[in-house]
Parts: sequence; structure tokens; C-alpha cells
Amino acid sequence: MLSIPANRLFCIALLLLVVPAAATGAPVTRTLSTAEPGAGEVFTVSLSIDGVALGAVVETLPPGYTFVGTDHPEDRVLVRGQQAGFAVMNDTRITYSVAAPASGSGDITGTWEDFLGESYGEVAPSHVAVDGIETVAMSAGERPASQEAAPPFAVLAAIAALLIAGWGGRR
Amino acid sequence: MKPIPILALALLLVLAVPASASTGGGIVGDADGDGVLTSAEYASATLAYLDAAYMGGTGVLDRTDIQDAAWVYTYWDGRPLTITDSSGKTMTLYRPLRRVVTFSGESLETLRSLGFDMEKVVAVDKYSHEKKTFFPECQGKANVGSVWSPDMERVLSVRPDAVFLYATISVSACDDIQKRLEASSPNIRVFRFDCFKPATYAGEIRTIASMIGRKDRGEEFASFYESTMDRIRDGTAGVPDGEKTRVYFEYWYDYTTVSAGSGYNEKIGLAGGVNPFSVGTTEYPTVDPEAILLADPEVVVKLAGQGLAVGGYAGHDPEALGAIRSTLIERPGWSSISAVKDGRVYVIHSDILGGAQHFIGTAYLAKWFYPDRFADLDPHAIHQRYLTEFQGIDFDLASKGTFVYP
Repeated sequence: MLSIPANRLFCIALLLLVVPAAATGAPVTRTLSTAEPGAGEVFTVSLSIDGVALGAVVETLPPGYTFVGTDHPEDRVLVRGQQAGFAVMNDTRITYSVAAPASGSGDITGTWEDFLGESYGEVAPSHVAVDGIETVAMSAGERPASQEAAPPFAVLAAIAALLIAGWGGRR
Repeated sequence: MKPIPILALALLLVLAVPASASTGGGIVGDADGDGVLTSAEYASATLAYLDAAYMGGTGVLDRTDIQDAAWVYTYWDGRPLTITDSSGKTMTLYRPLRRVVTFSGESLETLRSLGFDMEKVVAVDKYSHEKKTFFPECQGKANVGSVWSPDMERVLSVRPDAVFLYATISVSACDDIQKRLEASSPNIRVFRFDCFKPATYAGEIRTIASMIGRKDRGEEFASFYESTMDRIRDGTAGVPDGEKTRVYFEYWYDYTTVSAGSGYNEKIGLAGGVNPFSVGTTEYPTVDPEAILLADPEVVVKLAGQGLAVGGYAGHDPEALGAIRSTLIERPGWSSISAVKDGRVYVIHSDILGGAQHFIGTAYLAKWFYPDRFADLDPHAIHQRYLTEFQGIDFDLASKGTFVYP
């Protein structure tokens, strides 16, 4: 029978505690045609939507990146600056295109709403960097609250748990 | 991919949703005010909401507004819903029910049968509040008293947008509550339904189901209800008047029966029984013990419940109902009446004969009155299905509650 050492079990439990709840079970997920576009390259962002009949998604692009177009019906899209809002009406996929700047990196973030289910949450962020080169991060004040770094305790606890789990497993 | 004329579209979308759309008097997002929320209007309203909520725009729609628009678009085909309640009043609804107060346990139970989100019931009557076993989810809700002694301050404090009252019983008390509510909150929607009368219950199920966007569920539940009631009606249809089973039905109190005006008498009739004491103006008349002996009932049914508090959902106590039956049988002279000689004396709890569950109790009556005609009718199975499938509560009749004896 499979046996798991007590210390490893403890670590797994600790890890579960520090994983943000919002990261699990979101009905909207995002994929990029590339996370390392070339300068000025237009790349594609796909939103996969599961179980939202009537709702919405609002996407926020990093500074310098620009919204180019979408295959979503025109009368269900609203773009303002770095943000694009999509009305979801029984859609399972929305694709839009983004032009990369000459340089720069950051996260594409998003928020979803399910109007009939009366729920909402965040789409997990997707990191992009022109040519894979990281630039200076935005200050914390520029980020939405949901994008703020995890609390130091959570990070330390997760690292500690991973180390202990690995060590415990070799005993 | 198509480029988006960003600014022009944004302006158009914001302008398309009038400021007045967020308040009462129409469907949220119905920009042209023609009473139909089209797909384009709904999409426009969604973008106006996103603009205001996330993108720094100045729109007036909030999250509740757009959720209501989505709800009406989905469940009412984007149109207002016009309903007529059991008081005969016709009303037009533009938004879903979000904060409901029920002064009637029967309406509350029917809402639950229909799959209404019970989180949206914000307050209930005191009797439902007391039913800890049957309405466990209501224990934390506000208690608004009864129709005879309503706590109006409490009602208004929970900011209801819909209130359920009885239609044809306690009429003056319910009228008074309705007047006071409408005077305090002109936009409040007051619905009058009974939800316990065989003549109107199926229609009420369907109306309430439409109101809460559960038409399919309403049809399913109404069909379940009607299948039981139709089976009873069909099974007794061929019985000539002169051959109908003679029934003495005793209310909670000794030697108190039911007359033509009572709901219990209606159920005796539906089950094919004849109540020799149904004539009279009093709803619950007292009977001379000698008259019962003279009537020689073929079946005796004793009611347990509020005034004879044993059994029901609150307790599993078959012995207590058995003791009530023994007391009846041992009454002076009763050994000579047919019901006692034939072992046809029964006890039934009002939980399944009054209220929204009357069809379960009526099925028991039919089976007791005509065991051969209803050999295939299984009231216990109907009861269990109702609890599990429609009420959605974990209540195993094999080990919980006592509703009939034997």
C-alpha cells in the first residue's frame, strides 16, 4: 500500500493552504500564441470560457502593448486604453490580437463575471516579454490588488514546504 | 481580425443605455423602451456596465442591474412577465425576485420545490421558523411573525422586493399587511398565493415557476403533483354516491370534526369518502359522541399535529400515534362501530394533509377508503420522492418522522 510520510503530508497540506483560492476553478482561462513576441509582433490571445452563459471578461494589457482586433462580434467588444471588455453570450472561446511594443514585459490580467451565476473572479495572469527580455517591473501602486505579490510568509512557507517535502521523501 | 473603431463604439454603447434603465418601470437595458430586451440591447447594456465598473466610464448600470438584465433575457425571453396571482390581481414583473419574504409556509415550501435559491429568501413567518427539521436553512433568517401578528418593522428592515401572502384565507389580515407594505415601499411586489388548495395548487406551481425562471422545473413538479391527484380522482370516479366510504374524521381535539367549509373535508371528498357531519356552518363542529355511534363510520381518521403535538417531521414516534389510536378504539361504545370492528381506524399527521403536502395525505386517505382500488398507490413512496427530489432535504422516512399509523 502507498504510504506517505507524515512530514510530507504536512507539507502538502501547507502547500494547499498557500495556493490562492482564486487560481482554482476559474471558468475562464487564457492562452497566448507566444509569451515572447518579437518587437512589434502581433500575437494572439485566446480566452477559453467554460460554463458562463451570460457574462463578461475584461482584459488588461501591460503598458505599451496594444489591442489590435478580435474575432468577437463588434457590438460585444469595448476597448479603452489598455483594457478590452467582452460581452459573453454563450461563447466558449474569444480570440483577440495584441501588438507588442519595441520592448517591455508584464502581465496580461483579466476579470470574468458570470451574470446568471452571480459570481466573478480573476483570470490567471499571463506573462509576456518582448524577445523574452524582462524589463523593470511596475511599482506595486500601479498594479491591481489582485496582481500583488504573494505575502512573504506565503512564499517562504511554500518554499520551505517544497524543501522539506523533497528532503522527507528521500529518507 | 477586424479592427475596432474603439472610441466611436464606446460612445455609442454608453449612449445606448439610458440612465433611467437602472431604475424601476422597465427592463434594464431595454434602450428603445419597446418592452423587449433584444440581443443587441443586452450586449450594449453589458458593455455599458463593463465601462462603468472596470474602465473608468460614467455609466449608471451596476452589477445587480446587469445580472437582472441577463436573467430577464434568459428566463423571460427579454420581456416583462405578466402574472395573475390567486387573489385575481394581475402584475407585470420587470426584474427577478432577489429579496423575498414569505408569510406563508406553503409558499416557502413551494418555492423550495421549484428550486428557488433559498439564499434569496431573507425572512420567513414564525411557523416556518419553528420548523427546524423541515426548514433548517431558515433558522438564520429573520422572523417576521404571522399574518395575524406581523412584525412590520422587521419586514421592512430586510428590504424585501417581494412578499408572499395568502390569497383566500386570513384575507383581511393579509390585505392589511399588503396595504402597509405598499404604502412603505411602492416598488415592492406583493404576491397572494395559497399553495395548499387542490383546486388551485397546480396552477400556482406553474405561475410561481414562471416568476422565478423555473418553468421546466415547475412543469415537472406540477406533473408529479397532478399525477397523484389524478390517480386519486380517477380511482374514485366510478364509485356511486350510495357506496362511498363513510368516514368520521376527527380534528386534533376530541369529538371535534370538520364540516363542508374546511380543507380537510375537501380532501375526504377527493379521496372518495363521505363525511356524515359535513353539514353545518361551523368549520370545526363538535359532535355528540352518540351521533358517531349512530353514523357507524366505516373508516375513522384522527388528525395529529399542532393541537395534538406528536409525530410529523419533528419526531419519529410511531408509538405515540399508536397510543392515540388505542385511545380512540377504547372509547365507550366504539367497539360496535364498523371502523373499529374492521380495524380501519387511522391516525394521520397534519404535516401531510394540510399545506402544500396535502396530496400525500389525500393519497393515504384514498388507500384507506378503497384499499382494492388503490392497491398500487404507494403514498409512502410519493412522500419520499417529494422530499428527496423536490424538497431536496435529507430525510429518510424509514427512520425519521411519523406521519400515519398504522
